[in-house]
Amino acid sequence: MTGHIVRIGLRSAVSLLAVSALAFLVVAFMPSDPVMIAIRAWNLPVDETTINALRTEWGLDRPFPARYLSWLADFVTGDWGRSFRTGEPVLNEFSSRLPLSLGIGLGGLALAALAAVPLGFTAALKPGGIADRFSRLLAITVQAVPAFWLGLVLIWVLGVKLQLISPFSAGVDVIALAIGLVALHSTGMLARVYRRDLIEQTAQPYYRTALAKGLTRRQALWRHGHRSAIYALLSAMRSEAGWAIGTTAALEVLFGLPGISQFLVQSISARDYFVLLAYIMVVASWMLAVNASVELTLRRLDPRADR
Amino acid sequence: MKIRFLLCSMMGLLVLAGGLWQPHDPDAIDLTLRHASPSLEHPLGTDHLGRDLASRMMIAGWRTASVVFAVGAIGFFGGSLAGTAAAIMGGWREQITLRAAELFIVVPTLIWALTAVAIFGLSPVTAGIALGLAGVGPYALLSNSLTHRVLGQPFVSAARGLGVSPPRLMTRHVLPNTLPLIFVYVGSQAGQAVVSYAALAFIGLGADPSRPDWGSMLYEYRLFAFDQPMLMIWPGLAIVTLTALLNWVFDRPEAHK
Repeated sequence: MTGHIVRIGLRSAVSLLAVSALAFLVVAFMPSDPVMIAIRAWNLPVDETTINALRTEWGLDRPFPARYLSWLADFVTGDWGRSFRTGEPVLNEFSSRLPLSLGIGLGGLALAALAAVPLGFTAALKPGGIADRFSRLLAITVQAVPAFWLGLVLIWVLGVKLQLISPFSAGVDVIALAIGLVALHSTGMLARVYRRDLIEQTAQPYYRTALAKGLTRRQALWRHGHRSAIYALLSAMRSEAGWAIGTTAALEVLFGLPGISQFLVQSISARDYFVLLAYIMVVASWMLAVNASVELTLRRLDPRADR
Repeated sequence: MKIRFLLCSMMGLLVLAGGLWQPHDPDAIDLTLRHASPSLEHPLGTDHLGRDLASRMMIAGWRTASVVFAVGAIGFFGGSLAGTAAAIMGGWREQITLRAAELFIVVPTLIWALTAVAIFGLSPVTAGIALGLAGVGPYALLSNSLTHRVLGQPFVSAARGLGVSPPRLMTRHVLPNTLPLIFVYVGSQAGQAVVSYAALAFIGLGADPSRPDWGSMLYEYRLFAFDQPMLMIWPGLAIVTLTALLNWVFDRPEAHK
């Protein structure tokens, strides 16, 4: 087990390194000069000395690989640069906003996994029944209806017609709505995955043995199918994590929630490239952390994969 | 099967016609006509600046269609080329290509596209290229595994034994067997491209908010959700209709079993 943790950790670190190089490369292609942006943002005098001083300070006069390595060294040691817009260290800006974004994204994902099990189980219990048709409809609908539009419609229905929530207030009701919207998409997809794996179990000989022993369909499915289906559900969560991040970003903008994506949107008109780099790194770490924990859980559930 | 493609081509024609001709200039501001109700002159009414909503919807549909087309083309050609070439070359070159493809999966497509759009500005061209390139990873992995399956077939060994060169092997024996499957997969992602572009335009990094896109219209009109809800209903309905239609046409039956 320790060996796996080390191996997955190493692989995640290598991926993160590669993502950082790619991100730095993309950002380096930015058509506008960060020095001129900073001078404008901070109202500095536009002359040779200021420009050269800033260039030397940020190491922009050095070749690309050297710049990358020094940025990476700073980043790893916790110096994420300063935001042009707010003048605050980027690390502080992110650490104050990350809990909200993580809460919405991961909370939605966790809620979806919890809701997908009963829905998928009921659907598998009676293929073609109400629960089955409902879960299928849900999966098809969430693929076509963008969460941010659904959120907008809900603002209108819940906020204006029924006066149940106060939209744009960043209160608990709005955060709960955002978590629910993230969860809705993943519930639809995960319930179908869980149900499909359960149905596949019913073709197995051990399932028929269980029925022959006198178990009801419900008992047999739960005792002999559930574990394998949970395994399938967990591996599907990896691709859902990407969706959850994108949806969280759009919902933060819609509801005006102060998370990392809203900070990115506010910073981008100032071409705040330290913020952009930090954002990619944070999202990549988030994805890699979800991947790693899912993989470790899968290993625990199925030790045969060790061999 | 036939009716799906009939509906799809009808939708395509509708979008094309909407891109070529609109009843009004979509950017023409007329402050005397703010929030006009639907009429023969303005079938969907006007927005807070008196712009004709129907015209804006039409040009936005055209912009969305060009993004979907660019995303599909880049994913199809880039992904199948990279994946197939990697499988035929094999060895460390294949490993590097596959690891690079996985990189694009570590950071979600939408976030890569968000980054690129933040730097280069949002237009159908940049969004199409960004979403397309960011989405190449999964296509490359798929075409790579499909190619490996074909490479194990006896007719490939026969062709290799006859001394067929790798490029010819690829065009003559491998691609005809893998391309149809990759095409279906690309098609099944087309609906997702509509939603992704709408999300990009909605988040609107560095975008000019007056440009008509379904996503940016939703962002602009969200403030009027209280008094003029129809303004944000129409663009949303357009996104849902186009996405649902594309998903249905390219439906992979195994996805809903």
